[in-house]
Amino acid sequence: MRSNKLHSVAAIFDKPDKIIHAAEKVRDGGYKKFDVNTPYPVHGMENAMGLSHSKVGFVTLFFGLFGGSFILLFMWWTLANSYPLFIGGKPFFALPAFIPITFETTVLIGSVATFIALIAVFFKLPFNNHPLHDTNYMKKVSVDRYGINILTEDDKFDKDEILKLFDSLGAESTELIYEPKIEKYGMFNVKFILLLIFIAAGTSASTYILLNKLMYITPFDWMEFQEKITPQESSLFFADRRSMRDPVNGTVARGFIPYPYKGVKNPKQVLANPTLPTIENLKLGKEKYLTFCSPCHGNFAEGDSRLNGQFPNGPTLHSAKIINYEDGRIYHIITNGQNSMPAYDRQITRQERWAIVDYVRVLQRAENAKKSDLVEIKKESSANGQ
Amino acid sequence: MSLDYTKEMVQFTRNPEIAELDEVISKPLDTNPSKKYFIALAFTSGLMVLGFICIAITFYFGIGAWGNNQTIAWGFGITNFVFWVGIAHAGTLISAILYLLRQRWRNAIARFAEAMTIFAVICAGLFPIIHVGRPWLAGYLIPYPNAMNIWPNFISPLDWDVFAVSTYFTVSLLFWYLGLVPDFATLRDRTKDKVKKLVYTFFSLGWRHSSRHWKDYEKAYMIFAGLATPLVLSVHTVVSFDFAAAILPGWHSTIFPPYFVAGAIFSGFAMVVTALVVMRKVFDLENIITLNHLEKMNKIILLTGSMVGYAYLMEAFISWYSGVPTEQYVAINRAFGDYAWGYWIMVSCNAFIPQFFWFKKIRRSIPAMFIVVILVNVGMWFERFVIIVSSLHRDFLPSSWTYFTPSLVDLGILIGSFGLFFTLVLVFTRTMPVVAMSEIKGVVEGAQPSHNGGTN
Amino acid sequence: MVNNDSGYIKRELPRNVGKLGVILFLIGTVTGLIGYFIDPSRATYSYLVAFLFLLSISLGSLLLVAIEYAANAVWSTPFRRISEFLSSSLPLLLILVIPLLFNIQDLFVWSHNAEVVKDPMLQAKSVYLNTPFFSVRVLVILLIWGLFYYLIIKNSRKQDESGNQFLTKKNIKLSVIFIPIFAITLTIQSVDWIMSLESRWFSTMFGVYLFSGIACVALAALALVSVLLKEKGYLHPRLTKDHFYSLGTLLFAFICFWGYIAFSQYMLIWYGNLPEETFWFMQRWQGGWIVVSLIIIFGHFLIPFAVLLSHPSKTNLKKLKYISIWILLMHFIDLYWLVMPGMNANGLHYSFSWMDVSFLIAVIGIIIYMFNRMFDKYNLLPVKDPKLQRGLDFHL
Repeated sequence: MRSNKLHSVAAIFDKPDKIIHAAEKVRDGGYKKFDVNTPYPVHGMENAMGLSHSKVGFVTLFFGLFGGSFILLFMWWTLANSYPLFIGGKPFFALPAFIPITFETTVLIGSVATFIALIAVFFKLPFNNHPLHDTNYMKKVSVDRYGINILTEDDKFDKDEILKLFDSLGAESTELIYEPKIEKYGMFNVKFILLLIFIAAGTSASTYILLNKLMYITPFDWMEFQEKITPQESSLFFADRRSMRDPVNGTVARGFIPYPYKGVKNPKQVLANPTLPTIENLKLGKEKYLTFCSPCHGNFAEGDSRLNGQFPNGPTLHSAKIINYEDGRIYHIITNGQNSMPAYDRQITRQERWAIVDYVRVLQRAENAKKSDLVEIKKESSANGQ
Repeated sequence: MSLDYTKEMVQFTRNPEIAELDEVISKPLDTNPSKKYFIALAFTSGLMVLGFICIAITFYFGIGAWGNNQTIAWGFGITNFVFWVGIAHAGTLISAILYLLRQRWRNAIARFAEAMTIFAVICAGLFPIIHVGRPWLAGYLIPYPNAMNIWPNFISPLDWDVFAVSTYFTVSLLFWYLGLVPDFATLRDRTKDKVKKLVYTFFSLGWRHSSRHWKDYEKAYMIFAGLATPLVLSVHTVVSFDFAAAILPGWHSTIFPPYFVAGAIFSGFAMVVTALVVMRKVFDLENIITLNHLEKMNKIILLTGSMVGYAYLMEAFISWYSGVPTEQYVAINRAFGDYAWGYWIMVSCNAFIPQFFWFKKIRRSIPAMFIVVILVNVGMWFERFVIIVSSLHRDFLPSSWTYFTPSLVDLGILIGSFGLFFTLVLVFTRTMPVVAMSEIKGVVEGAQPSHNGGTN
Repeated sequence: MVNNDSGYIKRELPRNVGKLGVILFLIGTVTGLIGYFIDPSRATYSYLVAFLFLLSISLGSLLLVAIEYAANAVWSTPFRRISEFLSSSLPLLLILVIPLLFNIQDLFVWSHNAEVVKDPMLQAKSVYLNTPFFSVRVLVILLIWGLFYYLIIKNSRKQDESGNQFLTKKNIKLSVIFIPIFAITLTIQSVDWIMSLESRWFSTMFGVYLFSGIACVALAALALVSVLLKEKGYLHPRLTKDHFYSLGTLLFAFICFWGYIAFSQYMLIWYGNLPEETFWFMQRWQGGWIVVSLIIIFGHFLIPFAVLLSHPSKTNLKKLKYISIWILLMHFIDLYWLVMPGMNANGLHYSFSWMDVSFLIAVIGIIIYMFNRMFDKYNLLPVKDPKLQRGLDFHL
């Protein structure tokens, strides 16, 4: 579809020498807005047309250097600044190791920038509506002819003069190129609206499917389902369908030390008391005694249950028999239990049991004080300034 | 060929008309493919599908499906990667380096070689992706401020590889596409088919062969060639760093960078010759891709093969000279140990076989050169295999010494990569012009103005 | 001699040039000899660096000639004679190596039997590193190089008279054989002369490293001499900016190649961090050597890279001249940096000495004098070379 507006006058030549000559003549004739079309670059055309040298190189240089510096800076910042790690004993800013990447990025950014600038800025393509498209001129010039065309916008444009000039240069044929008719579409064109809807629907649908559905289909399980066994899980591997197994015979808890006389009613030997009746020990012993022992044996080990008969009465611990017990035997009774007294080894740690033993000894001594003890206490209190 | 050094190398066996070139080159694009083509395509696609099945098996079961073990943690995966990247390099060498050296004979083969580059890089890029085991988690590798504050390890040669191969792919793709734009424009103006016209119009970006554009185009082409040249050297250098930066005897050798680059060009040219020998016959391009072109490529194969042979000699000598017992052991073990068979295949195919190209008769004989280049490809695959596996299988600790056997999945993926490559090549030959139309027209006799009273 | 096809007219260089060469040679040699009598070991080291410098330029120039033949390059054909003249000192190396062979004990620890007996590492290497084998290797290799020089250059000169294309074919054959032989022999020489100075160190890249330096310096020498000849009007008028652009581009490419090889060698040794390899670089990062290392990084790579990067730089003849001189100097410093720290391994203590300069001056004198001799005797342009016309017509 062509309009009536003339765009340019064109001529076709059949030999490269002729087109060079033609270009020179047109250039010398003072025409500025003209162009030559050849199926391949013809040597010397740049000079024949009076064109200045190409400036593409500057784009490459600038963007190449920019790309290289950027990536070097990035590598410095990430590996020497943000999260320095010792890698293979190399320094954080390992320049020899950074050179290959710097070089590659220089080339990459330089090339991509050159390409984009070339197409978009220098060529101003894509542009499929140019008047020259789909003309006989274009068809010939694509194959094996050389063409030149002068635009109407040129100051010296005069259709007849130009046609005469082309004739004198020995043109094989001439052609008048008209502007293409530009079809105008309103913004509310049905097709356009449908296209917009289609794009919107398509984009949202594909994004949704990709990010909400596809990204969660196996194998994209984001490590949610793992082969390892979690506690209390069932398992098809074992016959009893449980994943957890009983501990092996002889398994003990951490920190467990076996008590050699466990379960023995009257051991011939008992452990020796490894603790000393220090203030801390006695404090601990008192606390634990009051917690665990006083409900049955009373607050002062006198055999009067703190709970006034609601709990079984334990015997007094001030009897001669118990005073003559070894420390280890008292420890044994706490650990093993005796008669209606349960074993307390699950509730009271070893350290605490010995502390209770020390405290009981203190209580026993308190109730069976001798005259000589008084002196000691007196001495002590005068020493403490009381 | 009579002896006459006053004349330039003949570009065509018979100087064509420019319009004729368009006809010949566009013919595969305008006509429907023959039965033979479909059989070939079915065959290569079958191999490709086999490869994809094996990759799916790898994804499902993990890398245990491969033959890798400790200590040989790198087996076929990396061998294939280096093999395909190497093949890719010939394309860039032909299109970029020969362009800078102003060797006009490259015009006939540049387009096809560049396409091969891109397809080979695609095949190569497959392997780093699949060999990691869970590639769907690859997003974690991208550097962004994350909760663990951790960044990629830019010091690792494997990271350099990522940059190098992606840059190489991008730049090759852009370079290739830049060359295709004028051809798409020509095809757009020729075609009568409406669908094809739409496609060509889109991809030609509206190119109208303007000389003002050609000026910047040529400069950009030169810049791309100038950038692609060090790029191609750097990419295989970085690949060689994967090995040379380690301290493993047999890997840690300073000559690896130029040795690998020479080897890459060597294997790449062999693959190009393999493909061209078939293609020029099938598509009637014998006038454009002549025996002269093939002979020149064979000379380059001879040159680079000799460089690879030099590297073998140097490695062997310095292994002894260094006095380091582990280095000496590796050299001896390579030649006489468990993998000696691989080593001798490598040496004979890479260092000895190309020496046949000293003889002009063999350089210019299609069947002979075809055999030579196939053997070269085999040899170069074995080179990577020998370097990787034979150095790993016996390193410092004798208790770790073991043997590598590829699994069927390994072999399936290797075969599949060839299937992928040749499928892409076959599709390319039917959808895009295999010879760069605008470039080849420029070197026809009479295509350029004579310099009478000229400005140059 | 006039050849109407190319318009070449043979001229001779002014007498001063040859005289300059002789004077420099005499000054250098006399002062060097004085230095030798004062401190023979120190002088031997200086001599070695200068010897390697001469080797770089002459061997590198022969390599350029061979590459041109092998690649069937055309643009460099008008320049080829310059490289041929620059390589004329190559046969002289056979004579110049003799003082080094007589002073081997000053250079290499492994040449002292007493040391070898004490050190198991040296004993292990003594199959290769011993004086007789070393000397034989050196002499045979220099003979091989001299032989190739003679054959290739002879054919090239013969072609000036007959224009026989068959001579080009012969030279192509010789060149393609020479190139792999060059690779192996240069590697052996680099291991022998430089790497074995510190007999514990090893690097498979070393031969390639030296090759990259040699290529740079040969191109720089070619560029420098070509620009000088153009400035004085000796160069053919059809050698235009386009030829120099190609030369500049090749120089730029090999500078980048040198940088790449040097960096790879360093980085891999740095990365592996193995003491048996790193000590060599550590020595070159101590005291004054830090400065020299930095000079090489910036001067041998970064500065020439930046200078030669843009298109206009490569066609600016003045820039090309100065950067070539710079690169020649940098290669000398590179060889210095490779060799001199080796003194510490051999029980000597390094310090800068005027002898380093004197032998360098002598070598420069040799190059200038031989160039002048060849220039006067033979044509600057290979007048009947079949590729000459295309070479002169060469345009980008």
